[in-house]
Amino acid sequence: MEMSTASDTLAPTEPDLHQKIGLLTRQLHDSLNELGYADQLRSTVGELPDAQSRLSYIARLTGEAAEKVLTRVEQAKVQHDHLATEAKRMREVLVRDPVAAVATGAIMNFLEDVSQIAQAADEHLTEIMMAQDFHDLTGQVIARVVALAATIEAQLVQLVIQTAPPHVVVPTVEAKTPHLSGPVVNPEATSDVVTDQSQVDDLLASLGF
Amino acid sequence: MANALRFLIVDDFSTMRRIVRNLLKESGFTDADEAEDGVAALHKLRNSKFDFVVTDINMPNMNGFQLLGEIKADEKLKHLPVLMVTAEARKEDIVAAAQGGAAGYIVKPFTKATLEEKVTLIIKKAGL
Repeated sequence: MEMSTASDTLAPTEPDLHQKIGLLTRQLHDSLNELGYADQLRSTVGELPDAQSRLSYIARLTGEAAEKVLTRVEQAKVQHDHLATEAKRMREVLVRDPVAAVATGAIMNFLEDVSQIAQAADEHLTEIMMAQDFHDLTGQVIARVVALAATIEAQLVQLVIQTAPPHVVVPTVEAKTPHLSGPVVNPEATSDVVTDQSQVDDLLASLGF
Repeated sequence: MANALRFLIVDDFSTMRRIVRNLLKESGFTDADEAEDGVAALHKLRNSKFDFVVTDINMPNMNGFQLLGEIKADEKLKHLPVLMVTAEARKEDIVAAAQGGAAGYIVKPFTKATLEEKVTLIIKKAGL
């Protein structure tokens, strides 16, 4: 009779390892089928690419929001710098010859500049505010990904409960399934959604609204 | 006078409530209150006077569709125009909102011009 060595136990040869993994996989597959979990897990696994799309959507939306804010800030700073330089120059013009400053229209031009830049600043601020809508949109998507993770966890826990020895107590977890879709993260993949406000308006118009 | 109208903005995200509130203010509608879901909105609507409701759909406790249903089923509230502002972009949701009595539907993300246009149109149609 051959004696098994420590190296046999701790480091099985590659074919042995593959054989054992294959056996375990087969047992798991059979157990899942017998317990009726195969379909549930298959369905959940089917949602994983969707979760991947949702996480990509979050990355895209937060990136776009950051870009939008930075662009607006950069534009506003250029205009602000121009205003500060012009104000300094105008002060010098006024001190040198106040009458000429008015007569040449320099003061009026400066005031016109101030007015235009103030209006532009207001537009920048509005756009920066609008860029914060990513919080709402990504929040909804994150909630759905979290719900998916909870579903997977619940199914795995249920599997553990079914297969655990009788004396082991495993806590149960209830998964929440949202029934509303939330933001459309991949509009190309679905035909029953609108992708912009004009499509909403067209749909409502077709209904007589 | 339009800018004397009182708005109730309903959304579970405070950032979105602030955005809508600020946009309405920029459009001249300075009187607005906020609620974080349909339950809180109904409580405010039944205890105070409002002229216009702007609501999200996907909210905890009571969603926008349920709120719309409650408003339209309430004799004292059913006259209120309800504008849905939501990320729900499925056609069946838009149709359901219209059939449920919503005065308008805006999909997020939206622009200041879109909100202003819809609010103005609804006010005009409702004769407010």
